[in-house]
Order: sequence, then C-alpha cells, then structure tokens
Amino acid sequence: MKRASIYTGSHRLLLCLGPGGVGKTTTASALGMRAALEGRAVDVMTIDPAPRLLDALHLDASIAQPQEVSLESLAVSGGGRLRALKLDPKHTFDAVVNRYAPSRAMAQGILDNRIYRGISNALAGVADYMAMEKLLELYDDPGTSLIVLDTPPAREALDFLGAPERLLDLLNSRATALLGGGLKFSDLAARAVLSAFDRVTGLHLLSDVHAFVRSFEGMYQGFAQRAQRAREILAGPECLVLVITTPEELRVEETAAFIRSLDRAGINIDGLVVNRVAPPMPSRPAKAGASALQKKLERNWRDFAALKRRESAALRILSGMLPAGAMMLAAADLGHEPRSLRDLAEIAGSIDIAKPRRH
Amino acid sequence: MSSRHCNPQAWPRLTLVIGKGGAGKSTVSTALAIHLAASHPTVLAELDQRGSPARLLGVQASTEGSVAAGERLELRTLSARRELEDFIRRIVPVRMISNRMLGSRTFAYVTAALPGLQAFLLLSRLSAMAGEAAREDRYVVVDGLSTGASLELLSVAAGIRSLAPAGTLNRLAAELEGFITDSNRLGVLIVVSPQELALKEALQAAATLRGQLNIGRVMAILNGVPAPLFSRAQAEAAMAADTAQAALVRRRLHLDEASLRVRQELAAAGLEVIELPMLFTASVGKAEATRLARALRHRVSA
Repeated sequence: MKRASIYTGSHRLLLCLGPGGVGKTTTASALGMRAALEGRAVDVMTIDPAPRLLDALHLDASIAQPQEVSLESLAVSGGGRLRALKLDPKHTFDAVVNRYAPSRAMAQGILDNRIYRGISNALAGVADYMAMEKLLELYDDPGTSLIVLDTPPAREALDFLGAPERLLDLLNSRATALLGGGLKFSDLAARAVLSAFDRVTGLHLLSDVHAFVRSFEGMYQGFAQRAQRAREILAGPECLVLVITTPEELRVEETAAFIRSLDRAGINIDGLVVNRVAPPMPSRPAKAGASALQKKLERNWRDFAALKRRESAALRILSGMLPAGAMMLAAADLGHEPRSLRDLAEIAGSIDIAKPRRH
Repeated sequence: MSSRHCNPQAWPRLTLVIGKGGAGKSTVSTALAIHLAASHPTVLAELDQRGSPARLLGVQASTEGSVAAGERLELRTLSARRELEDFIRRIVPVRMISNRMLGSRTFAYVTAALPGLQAFLLLSRLSAMAGEAAREDRYVVVDGLSTGASLELLSVAAGIRSLAPAGTLNRLAAELEGFITDSNRLGVLIVVSPQELALKEALQAAATLRGQLNIGRVMAILNGVPAPLFSRAQAEAAMAADTAQAALVRRRLHLDEASLRVRQELAAAGLEVIELPMLFTASVGKAEATRLARALRHRVSA
C-alpha cells in the first residue's frame, strides 16, 4: 500500500510542491530527516534553502554536490543516513549544456549567447527543468533509497511538472522552423513581427535567437530522452506527490487552486502536508483569586485560543479539499524559526496525521 | 533617530508593497488602501491574482478590469501578460498578425526569455498609474510581489537601457528611471514579519533599493507586533506557577522577543518603520483590515 507510511513504503521519491512562503524547504528537509531516522538512505534536494536552514544542516552553500548531514546526536535506525543538496539551476544548466553539446566550441557558443543567459537566469521553468536533471542523476544512485525533492515556489503546480515539455517545445523543430526553412503562415507572420519588434525596440535579438535555437539542434535527442525518463518516474508508483501548505485562511484558496491545477493535469496528490500547526491548547487557566498575573494568563490563553480557532477553520477547509485516498499530515510550529539540527529533528518527529477538530 | 518619528513628507502616489511570502503583504496592502481611501480615491492593484485583497474585502475579484470595493476604493488586477499583449497590439496594429504573434508558442518563449520585457512593460504601467494618481489627487497601492520579483521589476529599467542602447525602449527606460527615483510618485513598503528570515531579506532588499536602484522612499512595516502582556519577571513567575500554561507563555515571549529584535534592527538600518499590531482574532477579514487601517492613521498622512 503506497500510502501506508510515507517513510517506510516502497516509494523512492517524495515530490514536495506548493506555493511560496509555506516553509516548503523546511518541511521537505524534516520529511527527509524523519525518513532517515527511520532507517532510510535519504537525499534531500532543495532549490533555494534559507541560509538558516543551511546552517541548521551544517551545509556549505557553495557546494553543488550532496553533502552528508550529521545525525550523530539523534537516534537513527539501522542504515539511515541523510544527505542534502542545494541546487543551483544556472550551474546545472551549464553542466547540461557541456554534457550534450557536440563540441567544446559549441558549448561555449551557447553559454555566451545572450538568449541563453536570459533563459538560464530568468525563465522560471529552467530551475524546474534543472531540478529534474539533478533528480535523474540521484535517482540512478544505488546508495539512495529515498529522494525528497523540494521544488521552486509556484503558483501553478504545473510550472514544475510541465518543465520538461516546455523546454523541449522551445528546442524542438517548430522553433527551428520558425527561424529556418519550412515556414507555415503563422510562423512567417510571427517572424516578420519579431523582426519588426527587433527594429522598433532596438534590441537586435533575432540573430541571437537564431543562433540559440541552431546551437541546440544537436542536443535535442539527449534532452528528449532525459525528459521522457523524468516523466515516467514522476508518474510512476514510486513517487508520492505531496502539496505543502500552512493553516492560514489566505492560503487556503491558493492551495485549492494548486490542487485543482494538478487535478486538471491528471495528477493525483497523495498527501497534503500542513506546516506550522500550533501545538494543542492547554485547558483554560483557573480563575480562582484572579490576581493580576492570573488575569494575564487568562488573556494570553484567550489570545492563542483565538489563533487556534483560526487555524482549525483553515485545517477543516483543507481537509475538505483532500482528494479521495489522500492523507493530511501536520508538522508542528516550534514558535520560532528552526535554528539547529535539533529544531529540525523536533519538526521531523512531530509530523503526524492531522485530525482537524470540530467546533 | 527614533524609528517612530513621523515623516512629514506626503505619502507617495504609488506604494509598492513587497515582502516575503507569508509576511502579510495582502493584509497590509488592504489596510493601507482602506486608510488612504478614507480621504482620497484609491486603487488597490493586485499583481499575483491570488485574490487575497478581494477575499479580505469581501468582494468578488474580477480578472479583467476593476471592481468597486468601497466608496472611494477600487480593486484592480494587473498582469504582465496583459501588458505584453497591449504592447504588441500597439506596435503591430494589424490585429490578425498581432493575434497570431501572441498565439505563437515560439514567441511566448522568446518573450519569456527576453530579459525582463514583461517586467518592463508592467513597470511602465505602474509609472503611468502613478502619474495619473498625482494629476487627479489619488493613491495607488500595489500588492502581490515577492521581494525578489520586486527587485527584478525595479531593476528592469537599467537592464533594458543597457540592452537597447537606442530606440523606443531606451527612451522609455530613461523615463522609468525617473519614476522609480521620485519619492513623490513611488514608495516601496517592505512588509516584515517578526522573524529572522523575513528581517534578513528585508534588510538586504532595503540596501539594494536604496543603494543600487536609488529608490527615493523605502519604508518598512513591521507586521504582527503583539501587545505587551508579561514582563520578563512576570513571565518567569507565571511559567513556574502554572506549568500547564508555561508553553503558551513561552510562545508569547518568543513573539515579544522576535518583535523587539526586528524592531531594533530595522531602526538600526535607518529605515522609516511603521508598526502594526498582531491580531489575536479567530478570523481575518474586512473588520480586521479596517482595524489595521485605523492603526495606520497617525503614521500615514494622505
């Protein structure tokens, strides 16, 4: 049963999707740590980790290879280990170009191209595609039993899952046809306008675009094969798709839209992981005596109880949007940002099935 | 100088509200717009189309055009894509060709890859809105950009100018540089939640905005400052006396300490800082946004 446990099941990949600002990287790391503590050999791939998280994991931000996270101070089941990797999309893209380009000179030509520089820095899909590339590399490593993949923040879940297709589209023969021979009417029109656009704006980009598309011609095959393989893994039974969110009212609609967009693309989510769920409330403080301090305790309790009600309402809506068969997990809010390995371990240990309370 | 001093300067015509995800950009933008609309016609423009301000105000968001959200308050959505379409239609007046062009996937990739064209057009739109607001004595509040995206947006004028050394875009870029450095037309308001990460990002952003981009008016809103409740000694006593409540008292202390630290560091950076209280309420809607708007009364003079 694929969903019996996200840690000990047979799946090999946890794909963490979700909007920005929900602590996706922290949650992905905590999920990875939990699995490592339960005995799996885990690689966590993060896209844009906060400096604090790097500190907590004792990672060197400048290294683009998986680094061992020391779990010495924690109770680890046999065989468990954790590695973390910070992905640098630009660096990975350059490596991909170097790998697939037929010659060194050609690779350099691409790397120097203005369009390439624009694409590799700015086009959101490139970071996604590069995450794919790195994923494939790690997936084929026999020493790794589970990969936790953090993804760039996205409004549309498809930003990530559609990345291989989009990049292939860019590089495929349609694009080449636009600038080379065999033009259809619509392409001719587009080309004419591009060239007018070039003149009007003073950007003179057309020749760069042409050179860019041409230079990728020889590499298309390699890209296509990698993208196909990534698609198979992501759609296969070894991958669990998780959406990370927080129990905030203003996030609920965003999360719903996210799940809908996955659904439209035929992707079922296996779980919703709600990050920063406050611990359960203690019972109301005794009123006896009602000293100044007791009044303050009462006031403090009321304040946090209100926040807890706000959170419960969001959790109830979130649980209502859960597709059939999917689970909802909660990760604890520590009351402060995770600063150490121990903080992260605390979050990891707290991850549990969420049971929204009724009111 | 105290972080609480009142700035005698008039409020900028267009406020770009930026900040880390979860810092409360939408809540702050909405509160600011409600406050400004109390005395002047105000447009609350949303960029990311999440519809949060609409939800806060309890109105139905419209993806096209605008919707009234109060006597003087208008809600509008902006999109970079729509700006690009308008631009293409302007430079390619033949409808059939411009539509084919816009429908071409290849063109979509080229424009996506073009360093900042969409951002550039969006910034042009903001500049135009600020100009109108100045002429008609209105205000504009823009919600929805993360810190990184905002810096990209504001850097785009200089970027385009170096890419296109002459031509239409070069001239427009020079105009936009005038807009972003004019403190009467543009203010950048960084929303900071009392968290270290948010603070760090805000300080870096402020340094870039002031140092590299020469933005004339950069301000910070410290959002979610809890009302003082326990003194340190009281908290210690309470935690010792009532162990069941100790965790909640500790949470309160964490909140207090985080706010204090962030407040000090923002002040040390010489930023104009406005504070908004943390709302311990079971929901956040129009009533809460209006409460926050009232809290802005003495700090923001339209």
